[in-house]
Amino acid sequence: MADVRARLDRCFASVFPDLEPGELQTASPQTVAAWDSLANATLVSVVEEEFELEIPPDDLENLVSYTALADYLELRAEAG
Amino acid sequence: MRLIDALNTLNAARGRPDRVEFDLLCGFQPLHLATLLGARLQQVEPRARVHIREGRYGDLAGNLERAAQAPCRGAAVVVEWDDLDPRLGIRHAGSWSHDRLADVLDNAERSLARLESALAALADAEPVALCLPTLPLPPVALTPTWQASPLGTALAECIASFAARAGNVPGLRLLDHGHLDRVSPAPRRSARSELTTGFPYTHAHADAVARALARLLVPPVPKKGLITDLDDTLWSGILGEVGVDGVVWDLDDGAQQHGLYQALLAALAASGVLVAVVSRNDPALVEQAFERGDLRLSASQVFPIIARWSSKSDAVAEVLQAWNVGPESVVFVDDSPLELAEVQQRFPEIECIAFPSRDADAVLVLLEDLRDRFGKEHVQAEDVLRLESLRTSSRLQGAAAAGGPVDADAFLSTLDARIRVRAGADVARRAFELVNKTNQFNLNGERYGEAEWRSLLAAPGSFVLGLDYEDKFGPLGTIAVVTGRRAGDEVRVERWVMSCRAFARRIEHATLRLLFEELGATAALLDFRPTDRNGPLREFLAELVDVPSAPALLRITREDFEAACAPTFHAVARSEAHELARG
Repeated sequence: MADVRARLDRCFASVFPDLEPGELQTASPQTVAAWDSLANATLVSVVEEEFELEIPPDDLENLVSYTALADYLELRAEAG
Repeated sequence: MRLIDALNTLNAARGRPDRVEFDLLCGFQPLHLATLLGARLQQVEPRARVHIREGRYGDLAGNLERAAQAPCRGAAVVVEWDDLDPRLGIRHAGSWSHDRLADVLDNAERSLARLESALAALADAEPVALCLPTLPLPPVALTPTWQASPLGTALAECIASFAARAGNVPGLRLLDHGHLDRVSPAPRRSARSELTTGFPYTHAHADAVARALARLLVPPVPKKGLITDLDDTLWSGILGEVGVDGVVWDLDDGAQQHGLYQALLAALAASGVLVAVVSRNDPALVEQAFERGDLRLSASQVFPIIARWSSKSDAVAEVLQAWNVGPESVVFVDDSPLELAEVQQRFPEIECIAFPSRDADAVLVLLEDLRDRFGKEHVQAEDVLRLESLRTSSRLQGAAAAGGPVDADAFLSTLDARIRVRAGADVARRAFELVNKTNQFNLNGERYGEAEWRSLLAAPGSFVLGLDYEDKFGPLGTIAVVTGRRAGDEVRVERWVMSCRAFARRIEHATLRLLFEELGATAALLDFRPTDRNGPLREFLAELVDVPSAPALLRITREDFEAACAPTFHAVARSEAHELARG
């Protein structure tokens, strides 16, 4: 699971390069000014590419923070 | 390129103080295409950070018109079907009923007319790379999707006709759809992405389009020369075993791939690419083989031909010396992995490519690859002269060497050398090309984009002049270029290059004298920067001033120049230079 978060860290760092490493885990549209709809679309694409999966639109609605994405990806990883 | 790698490429350049801007003009949300295009351009822009300017959603023609008012380094323009009529896209729920299709076509024709006008204005302001529709049409027509529809064929005709006209617009480069078909197979459209974000491409398609557009905007520097092996490469068969009449390259003998390779080399040679042969062979046999009338590459198109039994890398070294080009500008083709490895070990910068003699499909891929490495848009007069001028240089060196140590002044005075000066727009394109590819006699090694070049030449007080050279051995074409600005009674030289083909004729001395005489300058200020490659330039300057090891503005007075300058023996045609001085 640590691997999932490390890979997710790299995704966030690429989309939000101004974030300090310590700010990644608390990132959300409320804490990151650059997290607008286009940044969100980029983040989702980067995550899908990195984890080689497609996130259904219904799931996307709830994935609006680092924590939510990390939990979701860990669940998907467990489900294989 | 993965999206995360593209983002990281752009992020890595964020701290650079200088910024270069490119336009990405389309009617859809550019999203990942902007990221991928930016990253591809960033890869070829090592010093500045690349910024992609985007236009407004759904207004392609307006975006073109606005960009033309504020040009930047270049514009990538991407047209999709719904830019011609929204009903040809999937984000607009317009009517697809068959009685409306004629109106769709009429509207598409009107849109194309406006785009054509806007593109011409944009290409006049900045270099343009154009990509015409790449997505499949949605099922708007009556016919099943496997049957061509009247609307589909009429639209295809409109686009083909538009492309033919656009391809003739100066400053506009058109993306080849055959290339895109090869590198970006289906699926190209992501309906999910288009409907949720407005960005219509799959990632793979966006990457293919971005890569091609970046190459159109900043074309790779073409290679200058190709060195080829003979046996089982230029032809099928071992010359020493089967004899002159036994080597083959035609369809009947199952060796057409070698004939195609010959045809490509002949075409490259005709466009100014240097072609040489190195072969472990009997030189007399090779000479006879090149006398065969059915060879598609004639001996006159090849220089030099080195056939002997010593190592290939020694022969390659001789070719590089005869051409006076660096190994990074050269491709070596051979069927033998051993020979390729031997040459590669000695010259790591040379592109060593295996000729897949027994695999026709692989040969075709190789031919496409070679065309890509040597591709150019125009054939200039100098390209046609290049090979002959190298032979001339070889004869010149041979003539000088034949008599042992000779009086250089006496020798040069017999050349009947003539220089013609060209100025301004007359020489601007050749100057751009020469400045961007010359290494050895180059004042500072600076390279320029097209828009930047245009802007430099348009600056008040700027001048550009080129020198055409000819002597009793033949013409060399335009082989030297100087550009800069006049500043009072001094002249600031910002760029000065001379082709390596023109060395040893004191053309550089004549160039500087010309600057003093025609511009009435008392001193020249040279924006000098040492590079890894500009040793010949530094050697020349050292005859006149102390040459520093760091970038510097070197001042050479006319008085000092005349005192130190070796004699020159050129007849100079000055009419255009006088125009320059007045301008």
